[in-house]
Amino acid sequence: MRRAIQLAWLFSVLSIEGCKANPPGTLETRFMTKAKHSLFIGNKSQKNPIASTTENIAAGKEAFSHYCAACHGMDGQNTGVPFADRMSPPIPSLASKEVQSYTDGQIKQVIDYGISPSGMPASKGILSDEEIWSIVVFLRHLPPAGSLGEPEMYSH
Amino acid sequence: MKWKHSALAVFAGSLLGFAVLSQPIETHASPRIIQVTAKRFAFEPAEITVEQGEPVVLVLKSMDVAHGLRIHELNLDIKVSKDATTQAPFTPAAPGDFVGHCSVFCGSGHGQMTLTIHVVKKS
Repeated sequence: MRRAIQLAWLFSVLSIEGCKANPPGTLETRFMTKAKHSLFIGNKSQKNPIASTTENIAAGKEAFSHYCAACHGMDGQNTGVPFADRMSPPIPSLASKEVQSYTDGQIKQVIDYGISPSGMPASKGILSDEEIWSIVVFLRHLPPAGSLGEPEMYSH
Repeated sequence: MKWKHSALAVFAGSLLGFAVLSQPIETHASPRIIQVTAKRFAFEPAEITVEQGEPVVLVLKSMDVAHGLRIHELNLDIKVSKDATTQAPFTPAAPGDFVGHCSVFCGSGHGQMTLTIHVVKKS
């Protein structure tokens, strides 16, 4: 009986520890980045049907600022997002090589279906296809970090 | 000689009359007013039919939060504030079915909020 209680206690402690959002180690980060790029995130070949025009960049920026900025910042580089580095994995800068090396189709896939395990949600249906593609255009033309200020919700 | 002058005068008068009468007459047909309401997460009606070349004024009324309507093919880009009304004129140039989306993020069903405008050939 005593042994069973000890095991239950150990299991509880491990469970609680396992729930903590610890930052992933270097090996885990490298492995997962490689796996996401080459295995988990498909749709590599789909082309963006929306051209990279000034209007479409502005439309993407607008959609991004309404929906994505809460976690990615107005600039897509986490500016002003207080929990960006407290998540596991931390929210990446969308200007980073890790993100920019995805194809347009892969980025669309990530926005449509999210990434598990991470905090990235699936947004298909919440945003229209046109908005998602315009966001992909915006992500290819991100402004300098910090140039758009921080999301309004974090400054009140 | 006199009859020649008279004939010339009649001919010139006829030409002038023809020139005046053949000028296109400008008409100012009043546009068709179509009222659409926007409410999370649908437009009502969700489909409307108009004729090619028909001047239309779309009156968009929000019943709750801010909404928008964007249809690139018809050069329509309207935004309406919370509980407000706004209007936009347009004249569809070509027939077809054009799907517009809400252009102001309004919540979880925002991406499915569409309005289809069927433009048919003038009967």
